[in-house]
Amino acid sequence: MELAVPNTGNNHTTALPGDNLLQLEGISHTYPTTVGSRSTLHNVSLSVMRGQSCAIVGASGSGKSTLLNIIGLLDQPTSGRLLLDGQDMTRATAHIRAQTRNQRIGFVFQSFNLLPRLSALENVALPLLYRGYGHTEAQRLALQEVTRVGLVNRAHHRPAELSGGQRQRIAIARALVGHPDLILADEPTGNLDSNTAGEVLALLQALNREQGVTLVIVTHDESLAQTLQRCLLVKDGHLLERYPNPVHA
Amino acid sequence: MPDAQPHRYGPSLRQTLSDPLSSLRLLGRRALLALLGIAAGCAAVVALLNIGHNAAHEAIRTFKGLGSEVMVGSFTATPGTVTRPAPATLDTQHVKQAVPGLREIAPAILYSATVRAAGQAYPLSVIGTSHELEGVLGLRLRHGRFLSPYDQQSTYAVLGAQAARALNVGSVSNQGPVAIEGYLFEIIGILADHGHNPLIPIPVDEAILLPIEGMRRITPTPEITSIIARGRQSERLAEDAETLRDYLAPKAPGHTVQVQIPQQLLDGLERQARTFSYLLLGLASISLLVGGVGIMNVMVMNVSERRQEIGIRMAIGARPRDIASLFLLEAMALAVVGALAGALLGVAAAWMFVRLSGWSFSLSMTSLPLGIASSLLSTLFFGLHPARSAANLQPVTALRDD
Repeated sequence: MELAVPNTGNNHTTALPGDNLLQLEGISHTYPTTVGSRSTLHNVSLSVMRGQSCAIVGASGSGKSTLLNIIGLLDQPTSGRLLLDGQDMTRATAHIRAQTRNQRIGFVFQSFNLLPRLSALENVALPLLYRGYGHTEAQRLALQEVTRVGLVNRAHHRPAELSGGQRQRIAIARALVGHPDLILADEPTGNLDSNTAGEVLALLQALNREQGVTLVIVTHDESLAQTLQRCLLVKDGHLLERYPNPVHA
Repeated sequence: MPDAQPHRYGPSLRQTLSDPLSSLRLLGRRALLALLGIAAGCAAVVALLNIGHNAAHEAIRTFKGLGSEVMVGSFTATPGTVTRPAPATLDTQHVKQAVPGLREIAPAILYSATVRAAGQAYPLSVIGTSHELEGVLGLRLRHGRFLSPYDQQSTYAVLGAQAARALNVGSVSNQGPVAIEGYLFEIIGILADHGHNPLIPIPVDEAILLPIEGMRRITPTPEITSIIARGRQSERLAEDAETLRDYLAPKAPGHTVQVQIPQQLLDGLERQARTFSYLLLGLASISLLVGGVGIMNVMVMNVSERRQEIGIRMAIGARPRDIASLFLLEAMALAVVGALAGALLGVAAAWMFVRLSGWSFSLSMTSLPLGIASSLLSTLFFGLHPARSAANLQPVTALRDD
């Protein structure tokens, strides 16, 4: 699906050579279990340039979702350093992390994660309300986003009244509404049929291409991975650069 | 970036307040249960405070009905001294000269005896007193006359209204004598109902009244149990009571003489009423505790069922304090509705209790703010823990629960 991208004057997304948006240095992650602790990531280092699109692939339980959660400030590494736009976020307070997630990161989840009792429009407006926008202004900006994903006539429907593809588009509108630098998507097409999956993927790629939003997608889908500029493989907690995609490189 | 960035991070006040209200609709019947617990707690506080307040009010009203010039003297044997009897008679004329502030004064000896009339025996209070009691207490007669100064040596008796009913005496004419401890007494008068007054230590309605000089017939060692007097000016009552006490003290060696005036008794009564209120408050606190635990229970369930929502909100930018206030304000909204309903219910319950007791209702002004505030505080106290546990969830942990 094609996007009608208005000029929002977003300066953050202008790609500059050598402009690292995301930098991970020696990130490890372990979590406690009943019999001790289990290690999910070992000494992972990674740099993602502003405006890049990047796939993270790997078997189930390999640690790719943990990696995405750490990048998205939803989880904290046991050791190592995480820099977002040059700013060290490793030991930031819960308050700062929440604020950074709101202002710089947009999430797209496999199970959409919309609040069921809010309408599509209210779901999209929610990040702006947390940012401090008034109700009317938040709704106005949310409506723009809902229009961009082509669901203006479904804006006042609840998530339960929408199809899977429509829900994911609303989730993408919610991720975009705050004009983030980075979109993190965890299996965004995992719950969708192939046609709808294609539409959602096209939407994400258009964002990356036309607005320069940095895109990191965790996926099982090899064909999806191949459409992105980079592909990283997580295997037993280690990160391997599989390829910079020849099509994009 | 969206134009016109707000200066301050965090949801607006309107959003902070409206979010919990819309979430409450999700709770459905469970919200109603939590609300009921808080309403019951608040109703208990309000009702009990009002009942206590009205009980005290009623007692004080009864006291005040007596008139503010009355004083009551009593003799108490001083511990550790050789027990000597208190005086058996009182020269009232002499007292009045010595204490010019007194309008009238009457001694009373209270005794209890079996009174026989028309072949039946009744246990009754016997009061030995003087003719002045009629004036001191403002007694009214239904039949016949009261004791007179000339009846000192006679075997005349006057019946209190209740006592007359118990003995089945309707009038003084064609009424045979009654027997007390083997002596026959002639009924010369029947009193109209005087009513109970907690200030007066003698039960006039339930007694048979005899001349004080004749008490020696009933008991070998009669002792004055109380002295009831009426002052001339209520403003000087405290001083007159002091003078009366100083006059009486040397007449009763080995006894402590006390002369109480209504104000002191009223103070005592108010203290007692306050103690009673504290007791009721204790009971009400238990109801509030139960209500608070109910709220906590609902909130803990609420938090655990909405972990994913917490995770989503955190992922899109809710800070721990936003999550805490979301849940805490939900509980507070429940508490406000519950407390208001409870306050109304409490006033209604107290009103019903007071009317059924035959008193007149007056609203305790402190009961409503106290009831509502304590319900809200209890909710705040019990809601804090679940709200904090929600706020302290790691976003990734909360999101994982689907």
